[in-house]
Amino acid sequence: MEVIEKVLLCKVSDLAENQVKKIENAEYGDIAVYNLGGQYYATADLCTHATASLAEGDIEDDLITCPVHWGQFHIPTGKAQGFPCEIDLQTYPVEVEGDEIFALIAVDQALIAKG
Amino acid sequence: MGNMIKTIDVTDSLTNLKDACDLENGRISGKIFYDKTIYEQELEKVFARCWLFVAHESQIPKTGDYITTTMGEDEVIVIRQKSGGIKVFLNACPHRGNKVCFAESGSTRGFICNYHGWSFNVEGNLVGQHESGVYEDSDFDKSQWGLKEVAKVDSWKGLVFATFDPESPSLQEYLGPMTWYLDALFDNQEGGTEFVGGCIRSTYECNWKIAAENFVGDILHAGWTHDSAARAMLGGAVAKVSDFEESYSVNWNGHGYEFALDTVGNVAVLGESALNKYLHTIKPSVAERLGDFRSNMIGSVSSCTIFPNFSFLPGQNTVRVWQPRGPNKIELFTWVVVNKSAPEEVKEKWRKGAMMTFSPTGVFEMDDGENWEYCTKTARGRVTSQQDLFVGLGMDTLLTDTPLPANVYEGQLNEANSRAFYQYWFDMLNAKSWSEVPDRNLGKKEAE
Amino acid sequence: MTALYDELRPVSAEQHYRVSHFLNYEYRLLDDERFDDWLALMHEEVHYWMPGIENRRRENRLEHGFYAADHMAYFDDSLRDLGRRVARFQQPSAWAENPATRNVHQLTNVEVYYGETDGEYIVHSTFQSVRSRGLDEEYVIYGRREDLIVQDGDSFKIKKRLILIPNATLTCKNINTFL
Repeated sequence: MEVIEKVLLCKVSDLAENQVKKIENAEYGDIAVYNLGGQYYATADLCTHATASLAEGDIEDDLITCPVHWGQFHIPTGKAQGFPCEIDLQTYPVEVEGDEIFALIAVDQALIAKG
Repeated sequence: MGNMIKTIDVTDSLTNLKDACDLENGRISGKIFYDKTIYEQELEKVFARCWLFVAHESQIPKTGDYITTTMGEDEVIVIRQKSGGIKVFLNACPHRGNKVCFAESGSTRGFICNYHGWSFNVEGNLVGQHESGVYEDSDFDKSQWGLKEVAKVDSWKGLVFATFDPESPSLQEYLGPMTWYLDALFDNQEGGTEFVGGCIRSTYECNWKIAAENFVGDILHAGWTHDSAARAMLGGAVAKVSDFEESYSVNWNGHGYEFALDTVGNVAVLGESALNKYLHTIKPSVAERLGDFRSNMIGSVSSCTIFPNFSFLPGQNTVRVWQPRGPNKIELFTWVVVNKSAPEEVKEKWRKGAMMTFSPTGVFEMDDGENWEYCTKTARGRVTSQQDLFVGLGMDTLLTDTPLPANVYEGQLNEANSRAFYQYWFDMLNAKSWSEVPDRNLGKKEAE
Repeated sequence: MTALYDELRPVSAEQHYRVSHFLNYEYRLLDDERFDDWLALMHEEVHYWMPGIENRRRENRLEHGFYAADHMAYFDDSLRDLGRRVARFQQPSAWAENPATRNVHQLTNVEVYYGETDGEYIVHSTFQSVRSRGLDEEYVIYGRREDLIVQDGDSFKIKKRLILIPNATLTCKNINTFL
């Protein structure tokens, strides 16, 4: 059975339009949260190609560009878009409650039992 | 008077440099064009010290736009920053020294070294490497290993200069009152200038100083050297410079500009009446902007070198850097400069006109190249290299009561600028630091 | 001018011979310094173009990859411009042409196709230009050419010439010849 964990990312007021922010998370890996024209998205922060924080990259339309090798990912879907990135990025559904932005992370039951 | 042959101990080139460069008596020796020790000293004391032209602002308008060039023999990247400023980096990875940018121009998010994947952003910071984990295991401090920046970058009216020496004077101080003259070409219209796209590079087997000195103040050669080109382009000989009623040679810190006040003497050799017409059309507005005097210089018979190796010809609008590649070799980088506000068809005629006259296929440049190469090659001879060469025209022509700025000499047919160029070069080679470079300027720092 | 091979129609062996012969003849005129005869082979609307080659990354390609029409060039000439270049060669005061430059022009890899209109031919080729001056100077320029030539009576005229060298830096000081 799948359990959804709600992870607080940041406050709406802390994330200006067309900005990305890295939220440290030891359990599931760091999360990048984006504000694209008032719409919020969350993805894994670690590039799937090399060790790089995507939150340090630039947003172009709905793409995030890795700061190290300039590969790109589609923010809403996590699809790898440009050389040298080939593996898609993990994305998380986002929920906004009042001034707070949450990522909804599907946690494997077995993993919880182990933990 | 015959040429005296002096004995110079070539094993100790610098100690005996004085003998090779006796400018008070209007003499230099060919050895300064072929000596390896002197060349090594030039790389250190001239090219690693002086302000060098690296780009025109118009070549890199947007963030991440870059060009690569060299400062002396050092390869550099010139790149536009997010802030709007310009940075200049060594084009060499601080890991194993490999070149990080192999293109001559383009637009990028940064540079990734092909060797071990060190990745640098537009600001030159190291942002990652292939197998970055192993660096972290070695307590590697990324912030210490960015691309190495030059000491200073500054620009004057679109011309970007850089220097490796943190102790160099400011660009403004280095150029001094020469900027007043530079404006005749680079700031004669609202909006300033831009470079035409591209860069033509060619290779000469000559010493860089011979080419730089030709532009610093040698109009004397034009009437003779370029007779064939003038006849081809104009159907007649080059204008007789000695007939000009008023002309000058001005210099400062080794830079030099020689000019007549005939407005279109240089542009005329492009053989495009539309360009003469353009200059005559803008002349009243130039007079309003810069005064009558400089409005006569916008395309007149003239040439300029900013020490050590940046040169241009107003009118032909060719702009060039004589890149040193050893004592007897240069790479010539040429560009074409035009007023941003000029009509497109005028810009196009200058693009072609500069090509037809001063480029590797240019009918004027054809006859320069062989002269410069053989001025260098003859100095291979042990005895020939020690013969005195005459640079003594116009020894007593300094004008002391002129309102014009800089060191002003009467007449273009004058070797005052050449002597000032070699004197400054001599002073740089002898100075251990900028504070030891003597100030030999005699003229006004500003126009009256 | 550039088109894919399968969109081009190769001419007959006989026509190929005529065109190749014409272009070889043209090169011999240059080697013999017969500049007026050479100039007479140019169409009155000739565009003789040798763009500057720029060393750019693939993702920063110019209009035509490594060159662009509005960028700097070695030649970008009309008939008037070519005439001016020839006029300089012919001046007794062309100091750097005396002693003469000795030229050998070679043309190889010639492919001839029908052009868009009758009597027009598209020619792809490669060339080698060897020049020697003085006792020991030697300059070699290799390149690729695309010509558009048109039938003119029993012979042809050159209407377009595109000259592409691989070098982004010319390895010599000038090009005191035609390619």
